[in-house]
Amino acid sequence: MNRMKHYIILCLALIFTACQESVTPSEVVEAPPTLFPDYAEVTIPTTIAPLNFRVETEYEKIDALIEGSRSGSIHVQQSQVIDIPSREWKRLLEDNAEGSLKLTISIKQSGEWIQYKPFSIYISPYSIDYGLVYRLIAPGYEVYSKMGIYQRNLSDFRQTALLENTLLPGNCINCHSFCVGNPEQMSLHLRGELGGTILMADGQTDIYNTKTDQTIGNCVYPYWHPSGKYIAYSVNETRQVFHERKDERVEVVDAQSDMVVYNRETNELLSCPQLQSKDAFETFPSFSPDGRWLYFCSSEAHPIPEAYEQVKYSLCRIPFDPANGTFGEQVDTLVSAKALDKSVSFPRPSYDGRYIMYVLSDYGNFSIWHKEANLWLLDLQTNETRELVEINSNNVDSYHSWSTNSHWFVFSSRRLDGLYTRPYLASIDDTGHISKPFLLPQKDPGLYDTSLYSFNIPEFVTGSVHFNTREVEKKAISPNRIQMKFKWQH
Amino acid sequence: MEKQRSTSYISILLTLLFGVSIFAFFGYSYRYHLVYHEQYQLFLYTSDYFSDTMQHPGGLSDYLSRFLTQFFGNPLRAALIVAVLLMIVQRQVLSLAYKLGGKKSAYIPLTFIPSILFLQLLCDENFMLTGVVSLVMALAAIQLCLVLRHRQFRMAYILLMIPVVYMFAGGTALVFILLSLANELINGEIKGEVRVFFILGCGLLLILLPLIAKWIYVQYPLSKLWTGGDFYRFQNIFPGGLGLLWVLTAAIPVLFRSLPSSCHKLWKTFAGMGVQIILLIILTLYGLMQTTDWKKEEVMRYDYFAQHRQWDEIIRLADRRSPSSPLSVSLLNLALSKQGLLPDRMFHYYQNRSEGLMPSFMRDFTVPFVSGEVYYHLGFINTAQRYAFEAMESIPDSQKSVRAIKRLAETNLLNGEYEVAAKYLHLLQNTLYYKVWADETLLCLSDEKRIEANPEWANLRKYRTKKDFLFSETEKDMMLGIVLQQDPTNRPVYEYLMAYCLLTKDLEHFYRYYPIGQVTYRTIPKSYQEALVYIWGLSNSDISNCPFSISNEVKKQVQEYKRIYTGYSNPEQLLRPYSNTFWYYLHFRQ
Repeated sequence: MNRMKHYIILCLALIFTACQESVTPSEVVEAPPTLFPDYAEVTIPTTIAPLNFRVETEYEKIDALIEGSRSGSIHVQQSQVIDIPSREWKRLLEDNAEGSLKLTISIKQSGEWIQYKPFSIYISPYSIDYGLVYRLIAPGYEVYSKMGIYQRNLSDFRQTALLENTLLPGNCINCHSFCVGNPEQMSLHLRGELGGTILMADGQTDIYNTKTDQTIGNCVYPYWHPSGKYIAYSVNETRQVFHERKDERVEVVDAQSDMVVYNRETNELLSCPQLQSKDAFETFPSFSPDGRWLYFCSSEAHPIPEAYEQVKYSLCRIPFDPANGTFGEQVDTLVSAKALDKSVSFPRPSYDGRYIMYVLSDYGNFSIWHKEANLWLLDLQTNETRELVEINSNNVDSYHSWSTNSHWFVFSSRRLDGLYTRPYLASIDDTGHISKPFLLPQKDPGLYDTSLYSFNIPEFVTGSVHFNTREVEKKAISPNRIQMKFKWQH
Repeated sequence: MEKQRSTSYISILLTLLFGVSIFAFFGYSYRYHLVYHEQYQLFLYTSDYFSDTMQHPGGLSDYLSRFLTQFFGNPLRAALIVAVLLMIVQRQVLSLAYKLGGKKSAYIPLTFIPSILFLQLLCDENFMLTGVVSLVMALAAIQLCLVLRHRQFRMAYILLMIPVVYMFAGGTALVFILLSLANELINGEIKGEVRVFFILGCGLLLILLPLIAKWIYVQYPLSKLWTGGDFYRFQNIFPGGLGLLWVLTAAIPVLFRSLPSSCHKLWKTFAGMGVQIILLIILTLYGLMQTTDWKKEEVMRYDYFAQHRQWDEIIRLADRRSPSSPLSVSLLNLALSKQGLLPDRMFHYYQNRSEGLMPSFMRDFTVPFVSGEVYYHLGFINTAQRYAFEAMESIPDSQKSVRAIKRLAETNLLNGEYEVAAKYLHLLQNTLYYKVWADETLLCLSDEKRIEANPEWANLRKYRTKKDFLFSETEKDMMLGIVLQQDPTNRPVYEYLMAYCLLTKDLEHFYRYYPIGQVTYRTIPKSYQEALVYIWGLSNSDISNCPFSISNEVKKQVQEYKRIYTGYSNPEQLLRPYSNTFWYYLHFRQ
C-alpha cells in the first residue's frame, strides 16, 4: 500500500514536471522584477501563508525558483500568478528559519524567457500571532451595504465570517476589539435598529446598551485593559462633511467627545472631569501594558464643522488604578499637537511597554481620509518620537495593531489605489529596526484588484475566535439589553 | 382530430398573442420599468461572481435572473426577454395541466393566470426577475419528473430533486413538491403506507431544508432561508403576490382534473374560451391599473434619457407633458441647461422650487443617482462621486451597481485618481455591455490628450473647483457662487445660480449675482429680463428707464401683467396666459 502511494506521488510529480518548461533565458535583466504584491526584500514570519504573486507586466508564463539559504527549494511555473504549494512553502520556511529565501523569477514573452535579477525574502526569528480579525466594508460615506467581521488565519488563506450584516439586515457592525489578542474576550458594536454592544468574555456573550443619561452617546472606540476587567471607550458625537476639491473626500469630525472606562464587574462606566472636559475633545483610549496608564488623544474644543481644520489632537495620558478603578489627577502630554502643528490619532502601546505607535495627520482624528496620514513611533524609554519612514507611503497609512510579542504590527494603508484600505505587516526587532512591510498574502493576489471592500481595523488574535453567531443573532433580535450604569469620579 | 388540431392552433395563437401583448406593454407602454433594473446590478463574467451569487438557496435562479437582467439596458430587449419567459411559464403550466388533468382545451385560458400574475408583479420595480426564472426552473424539474415512467425512479427523483430545486430555485421548491405530490396521488399507483410515507417525506423535506440551510448558511436569518432566492429588492420583504402565484401554479393543473371535459362541439369550446379570455383581460387591465405607477415611470423615462445624454428627447417629452415630480423636473432643467435653454425656457414648464433644480440628498438607491447627474454635469465631481457611491451602497439587496461603478470610474478619472479609476474599469471589462467603454477609457488613463479629446471630460476638468469648500445642502447658492467666482465664464453654473435664486424667489441675491457671470448672450435671457424688470419696477414706476436691455415684448407683458395683478382681487385665472413667466411663478407657485 505504501509502495503504491509512492508510485502515485512519483507519477504525479513526473506529470507535473513534464508540464513545466525548462527555462533558458534569452535575456537577463539586471534588476529585480516589479511584483504584485511587492514581496522583494521583505521580512516574514515562519508561519505566514505562501506569498503568491505576479509580475506587473504582460507575459505568457511565469517561472519562480525559490531557494532556501540553508536547504530546500520550490520551483513553480504558471501562466499568470505564482501559486506556491502550501506544504512545500511551510517546510521551506521551517527549514530556513532565521535565514532567507532567494527568488529567481523568469517570464516568457513572445516565446522567449527573460530572467530577472534574484531578490531575497528574509525569515524573521520572531513568531507572529495566529491570525487577524478585520472588518470588510466598502469605503463609503454615510450609507453602508453588506459588511462583516472576518477572521483570517495567517498561516493559510482561510477567511471565515464571524458576523455579517446579512444576518441582521440594515445594521452596521463595527469596532471589534480583543483583550491583548485573546480570541475569547471580544467587544463589538452593533449600530442601527438592533443597536448594542456585544461583549464576549468568560464563555458568555451579552449585549449592552452603553448610552447613559450622563454620557453624550453610545460607547465607541474600545480598548481592553490587560487584566480584562476594564474596557476603555470614547463617546463621540460624530458627523461627516464632504469636500469638493479633488484631492479630498470626507471629513469625519467629532462635535463632542469624552472618555469612559467600563468596569465589567460592576457594570459601571467610570469617568472623571479630565476625561469629560467641555473645553476639550477626548478620544481613542488605550491602556499601557501594565494597566496603570490610560493613553488618549485630546484637542481643544472648536466649533464643528466650521473650525474642523483647527482641531488638532495631542497624545496624553492619565494614571489609572486598576485595583479600584480610579483615575489620577495629572494629565501628561506625550506628543504635543501645538509643537508639531499636527494631530495624533490611534495611539497603540506595544505590549512590551516600549513603544507607542500612532498616526499623525494635519488635523482631525479620522486619519483614514487623510492622504498625509503617516505612522509614527514614540520610544517610551528615550521619549524620542519619529516618523516610520521605512513603512510609510505617499498615501494614507493608518490604523495599526501590535502582535502580542510586540515584534510584529499590522497597519492599514491606501497606497495601492488611494481608496481601498489593505493590511500590511511589518516586524520590529529588539534594536528598533523595522522591516519593509508586506501585503497580507492571498491565494490569488488579484483579489486586491477586484475586491470592492476595505480591510478595516485589522487586529491580531492569538487563536481562532469561536464566535457564537446564533447566540448573537438571538440576543440581537431580542429587545433586551443590559443597561450600563455611570459612575462619576470627582 | 380536427377539433384537437384547431384547439392546438388556438393554444399556440393565444400564447403568441399573450407574448406580443407583454412585449408591447413593456417595450412601448411601460417602457422604462424593466430598464430600471439593469443599473442595480453588476453582472460579471467571472468565477468569483458566480460562486458569490451561488452562496445561498436559490442562488442559481438569482444568477440566471441577473444574467438576463444585464440585457435590460435596452427597453425592447428587456420586453422580449420578459415576454418569452412569461410565455414559457404559460406553456409549462399548460403542459402540466394536460398531464395532470387531461387535455381539456376549453380551459387553456386558465393556464395564463400565473403569467398574468407575474405581469402584475413585474410592474413593481422592486420585484426581481428571479421569481419568474425560479418558477421556470421548478416547473421544468416537474416536467422532467413526468417523463419518468417507473414509479420507484420517479419517487426517488422527487425526493432527490426537492433539495436540488430548493438549492437552485429557493422557495419555489414548494411548487415542485405540490405538483409532484399531486401527480403521484392522481396518476401514480402508490397506495397505503407508501403513499403516507411519501407525503410525509416530502413534507418533512420542505420543513427541514431551510433548517439545514440555516446550519450551513449561518449568516442569513431563517426567514430568508424559508423563501430563498432574491425575489424582492428589499430582503426582508417577501411579496405576498408571489406566494399566491406559487399556490395557483400548483392548483391550476389539479383544477383541470376536476373540471368537466370539453364540449364536443367546437363552437361551444371556443365560446367558453372566449368568456374566460374576456374575464382574464378585464382582470388583467384592472390589475394593471392597480399595479402600474406612471409617476415612477415618468422619472425612469427622464432618468434613462439623462443617462444616455439624450437632452432633446427630455425636452420633447416635457413639451408633450410638463413633468411634475422634483426628480423629473430637475432632469428637465439639466436638459435645458445642456442645450443652453435654461434661462429662456425654464418657466415654460412646471417648476418645483429648488428641489426641482438640485434635489436634496436622500439615503436611498434612486434619488442620489438622479441628483448625481445634475452635480456631475455641473462639475461638482466629488458630490457626483459620493452620490453614486451612496446610491450603490443603498441598494437593499447589497448588489453593486454597474451605473455607479461607471460613474465612479468617470469621476475618479476626472479627479486624477487613475489607480481607483482603473480598478473600476477593470471590473467593467468583465461585463458585456460596458466592456468596450471600459477598454477605451482605460487607454485614457495613461494619455491626457485622450481625456482632453473628450469634450464632456475636458469641460468638466476645466470648470472643476480648484478651491476647497464643504458641501452644504442648505447653501447650494453659496457652492455655486464659489465655483462661479473661480471662473465667471462657467455658463452652466452661472445659469444654475441664477435659476436657484429665481426658484427660491430670492430676488436680492439674483440682482447681486446677475453681474458676476461673464457669459455672453445675444439678448438677456427671458427669465432674467422678467426678473430684472420686476425688480426695477419695485422701486420705479416707469419701466422705460430700466437700465437693462429689456425687450419691448417683455415690457408690454409686464405692464399688462401688473394691470391685471393689481386690478383684480383674484387674478390667478386671468393671468393664466402668463403662466410661462417668472412673475406668475413668483406670485402663484408655492
